[in-house]
Amino acid sequence: MSSQREKRRGLQATRKIGELIMAHFSKAWDVKAQGKPVAWITVFTPVELLYAMDVYPVAPEHFGAMCSARGFIMEFLEEAEKSGYSQSLCSYSRCGLGYAISGMKGLMPPPDFLVTFRNSCDVYVKWWQSLSMHLGTPLFVGEAPYVLAREDLDNYVLDYVVKQLEQLIKTAEEKFGLKFDMERLVSTVKLSDKASELWLETLKLRRIKPCPLGGRDSASDIFPLVVMQGTNEAVKFYEELLGEVKEKVDKREGIIENERFRLLFDGIWLWYAFDLIKYFEDRGAVFVYEPYSEAWACRLDASKPLESIARKILSMGLNVDIDLRIERFLESIKEFQVDGAVLFSNRSCKSWSAPQLVTADILSKEFNVPYLIFEADMADPRQYAEVQIKNRIDAFLEVLGER
Amino acid sequence: MYAGIDAGASATKAVIVDKESQIISYAIVPSGINFKVSSKEVLRKVLTSSSLSLEDIAYTVSTGYGRALVNANATSSEITCISRGVHKLFPSVRTIIDVGGQDSKAIRIDENGRVLDFVMNDKCAAGTGRFLEVMSNILGKPIEELSRLHFKASKPIKISSTCTVFAESEVISHISQGSEITDAIAGLHEAIAERIYTMSSRIGFEKDVALTGGVAKNKGFVDALSKKIGLTLTLPKEPQIVCAFGAALAAIKKRMEVVS
Repeated sequence: MSSQREKRRGLQATRKIGELIMAHFSKAWDVKAQGKPVAWITVFTPVELLYAMDVYPVAPEHFGAMCSARGFIMEFLEEAEKSGYSQSLCSYSRCGLGYAISGMKGLMPPPDFLVTFRNSCDVYVKWWQSLSMHLGTPLFVGEAPYVLAREDLDNYVLDYVVKQLEQLIKTAEEKFGLKFDMERLVSTVKLSDKASELWLETLKLRRIKPCPLGGRDSASDIFPLVVMQGTNEAVKFYEELLGEVKEKVDKREGIIENERFRLLFDGIWLWYAFDLIKYFEDRGAVFVYEPYSEAWACRLDASKPLESIARKILSMGLNVDIDLRIERFLESIKEFQVDGAVLFSNRSCKSWSAPQLVTADILSKEFNVPYLIFEADMADPRQYAEVQIKNRIDAFLEVLGER
Repeated sequence: MYAGIDAGASATKAVIVDKESQIISYAIVPSGINFKVSSKEVLRKVLTSSSLSLEDIAYTVSTGYGRALVNANATSSEITCISRGVHKLFPSVRTIIDVGGQDSKAIRIDENGRVLDFVMNDKCAAGTGRFLEVMSNILGKPIEELSRLHFKASKPIKISSTCTVFAESEVISHISQGSEITDAIAGLHEAIAERIYTMSSRIGFEKDVALTGGVAKNKGFVDALSKKIGLTLTLPKEPQIVCAFGAALAAIKKRMEVVS
């Protein structure tokens, strides 16, 4: 085992993520204690806008992932199920609802507002409406249409989303007495753009052999980009991370020794089974690209803040036409020199899982990239059959080894 | 001599081959709950029947669900082992369907026996040997009897549930409403065949199609599956040991690699 442990070199920067997460949640309680509002948001809600109104955002999805990773999600899942929510519902939504029903005594303070922007996830709106009913908290729902062609990112579809952002500001000012600060929005957008720029540059370095940043790092390091966009802390984190990854590249140091296979991972990570990534790494397989890691990375133009935020909401991977999604997949196969693809069919996330077979067939038939599909849930450990999944991984890596 | 041990969910199998890949002997024992015990037992049995001792075995490869617990030189996945085994026995086979005690799989191989693609059942046991074991208990008919009774059916029952537990109550309700046991058995075989057909369809049925695994010994099931697919299935003489045979072939190859 010791030799296997030596093979793995997790990044120093990633070790700070735990601290950042705790600080993020404890600040939410501090803010609340100072009488300032806290909003519960879904993860594609424009946080830059909330920061510009001095509203502090926390995300139940992020909370769910964290509860799952730390092994205490069952408490909240069971709470929701006891109230009658079905096990077939998204596990993030069950966790969030269970936490709300059980009195919100943990890391996330009770919300003053519920804000969601439906793009790609069809559960958001009903989930947020349910929360609003349980908690009696005011709700704002924004909606982004599916992007069927690239032009939609510049035409009336974009205008429609911009109007909704304006409406959000109007509602917040008129109904809730909040003050929107344009200058603060511009500075927040600049910081948000900087964090995305740094993260995208870091991800690009994974094209290099051996890969300097693996799946275990990318899965954790994405967090500041989800709810801390537009903060100095996020920028500082990504600067450090990029510096460290560049150093590894200079030293030609991979995240694992003896890199045998470079893999693409499609899906949300299995938060309770992070060890699965290690299982791959122990066998010489490193994840070099995940659409998930790019999901929140989007360059913003501070001279057109609302428009660029709207474009970001629209262009999230799952919200775009499948052809555009496949296009990105295929580009990445070449860019990142991918040997094989691992597709996680997630019971909770139908919009992610439903098109996977189409993508997989194209990968294998047109590009001769072997793939592995397995089924489980991102946060609910009860849907995970460890032995069967590892069995498939072994067979898949043997297939890659024989090529 | 080289040994392959397949520690499966329901049975542990061992095969000994010589350096020309000829099968010298084989043995099958129930896996029970301890693979360490069952793999020792199966090895003892296979050595005794061929009058060999442990020192005669140059290299051992283990495979199957419990492969990590078997005392062997190396491990290999069932997918690779089954493909190797079948390719050696039937070079014309391009598709393999394997139905074991706890899982079922379909594998597509090329003309060299290399794995091109594979699918496996998910966590559910409904398309596996375990399903038949549960049902044979309910019906009070030993598993060996299912084959004979299958061919006496006149109107197989339709089982719609995809869950073993629900299918169980479905069968009970059919029987209590007067269905014949033979019709229930044929219906069960058809239900498994249907599930395996659906699962395997993703990789297709390029000819020849071989059927392996313990459940392939059940002629009733073989009949139901070949009708569903619409093809005659290639069956090894002893379908249950193909995976262990493939592991033994892997042992020859790995030993060569070690030596060179």
